[in-house]
Amino acid sequence: MDLLLWDGGIELKTNYRILTVLVLSLLLLCSAFGAAEPGGNGDSIQNMQCGGACHGDASINETSGALLSLSSPAAIYVGIPTTLTLTATNLDTSATRLVGLFLLTDMTGHSDTPQDAGWEILSDANGGAMNYNEQKLDPGQTEISISWVLRASTLGPTTFYAAIHHGGGDSSPFFGTTASGFEVTVQPVPENLPRLSADFTPPTLRTLDIPTEFNIETQFTDSMQFEWKSEDGLIMNAIVNSTGNNSWTATIPAALQPTTVQWRVLLGGEGPEQTTPWFTLAAEEGSWEVTESAAYLQAFALLFMSAGIVIALQTRFSSDASTSKYDEELAEIKTVALDKTPGHFEENDGGQQA
Amino acid sequence: MISSETFHVVTTELVVGAFSVAGLSFTLCLLLHLGVLKQPSWSPVVDHVAHFTLAFGLAATPFAILSGLSSAPGEGLNSPILVNKMFLSMTGFGFALGCLLARWRLGNKVWSTTKSVVLHSASGLAAVGSMLLTASAGGTFARGESLLDMFHLPYEHVLLFPVMVSTIALLLGLTMLVLSWKRMNASSTVH
Repeated sequence: MDLLLWDGGIELKTNYRILTVLVLSLLLLCSAFGAAEPGGNGDSIQNMQCGGACHGDASINETSGALLSLSSPAAIYVGIPTTLTLTATNLDTSATRLVGLFLLTDMTGHSDTPQDAGWEILSDANGGAMNYNEQKLDPGQTEISISWVLRASTLGPTTFYAAIHHGGGDSSPFFGTTASGFEVTVQPVPENLPRLSADFTPPTLRTLDIPTEFNIETQFTDSMQFEWKSEDGLIMNAIVNSTGNNSWTATIPAALQPTTVQWRVLLGGEGPEQTTPWFTLAAEEGSWEVTESAAYLQAFALLFMSAGIVIALQTRFSSDASTSKYDEELAEIKTVALDKTPGHFEENDGGQQA
Repeated sequence: MISSETFHVVTTELVVGAFSVAGLSFTLCLLLHLGVLKQPSWSPVVDHVAHFTLAFGLAATPFAILSGLSSAPGEGLNSPILVNKMFLSMTGFGFALGCLLARWRLGNKVWSTTKSVVLHSASGLAAVGSMLLTASAGGTFARGESLLDMFHLPYEHVLLFPVMVSTIALLLGLTMLVLSWKRMNASSTVH
């Protein structure tokens, strides 16, 4: 503040104003470098453009050159899992090589997830059940294909759309969509069609080092084959045991690393044989555990220790200073008092006169 | 009602913003009182700004911690990053609390000697550092990346003391606080 009152203050004030404006302008320009989240947001249930912001900001985003196309089996039955596959080509990404892919049922950016249209996502490409999936491309990779397994709860047509988020050479966030909607029509289930139970939900996660047992409920099924494949694509069979009418179990070996496997079942019965979609199952490390009471106790110990150390040292250092300052002030007071005593004053005065 | 996730974002922005300004101000305080920066007229301003922003950040910290715990996926402390975040934020809380209490009870005496200046500024900066590390761990937890990733900080490892050690440390800290508080009160009464 005082700086502005110095001699030549007008000039100084102007300089400071210019400097402030320059700094603020620089900060505003820097905001473009931090656009979007190049490290990704993680898989989740998201509306188009995550409902806005980042890639949805028309003032900073750019149109993706990626070409997106959706595909599905010819027949889709109500209550029976089916696969929707999204293929993205002509991909160009930032240095992180991350792309985010959306499966949507309209393009409004609000209430446009498959769930909003009455579809249940049973499995996604990353071992979850999300409509927004992030994928990391290999160097030089310009094409990717991922699948969702969904189950329709109502009959009739539904139009699906896909969208993509990614970065580019500069810091701009890119956004793209399918050129047009992809319509599927849900049909009634043929009578006696072997199928998974209507309320069967496939597991999407398993723990490392533990074999995974599947308990599968079916309808109109007399026999079952269980197929699974790891990331190398080699298809293997697991032994299936019947545990009752339309009730089956199968076990696959434990995963030693956090990878994904895919599995499906081939169902036989009176109706035509059915093959389910490939369900994705991700392996992850067992949940991390800590004794919570010990952690909370240590947190409070750290709080009081750090506060206690600061105050103890500060009191010590400051009281050292105050003692000396006190002594100095006391000595000064004594001197002043002595100066003002009449005898001393006269003596002093006389001395000066002499 | 807003969700705990949104509330956590709001409170952490308040904490990080306030502590960042406090950090800058404490650095200026240190440079001014050590004579590196020759602008004595700035001293009262940066002193007040440093302590006001530290107090403001401190007031917002409990809300950030509680909303962070309730907005974390899963139940309880299910990630080492969350535990480290709690340790860092509580340590920062302690440094900030000690710094503010000292300034409140001792007044300008905290700037009276070189040792005191260095200690007071260091405690303020330690509080700021702890809070910024907490925020960085939050970025790593939520987005898998943060500005401080270049330092490869070991957020995945937790140094958990035995309960006995924590209990002793807690009692020791409380004792130091109580004794120092009495000493500070006695000191401020004399003067």
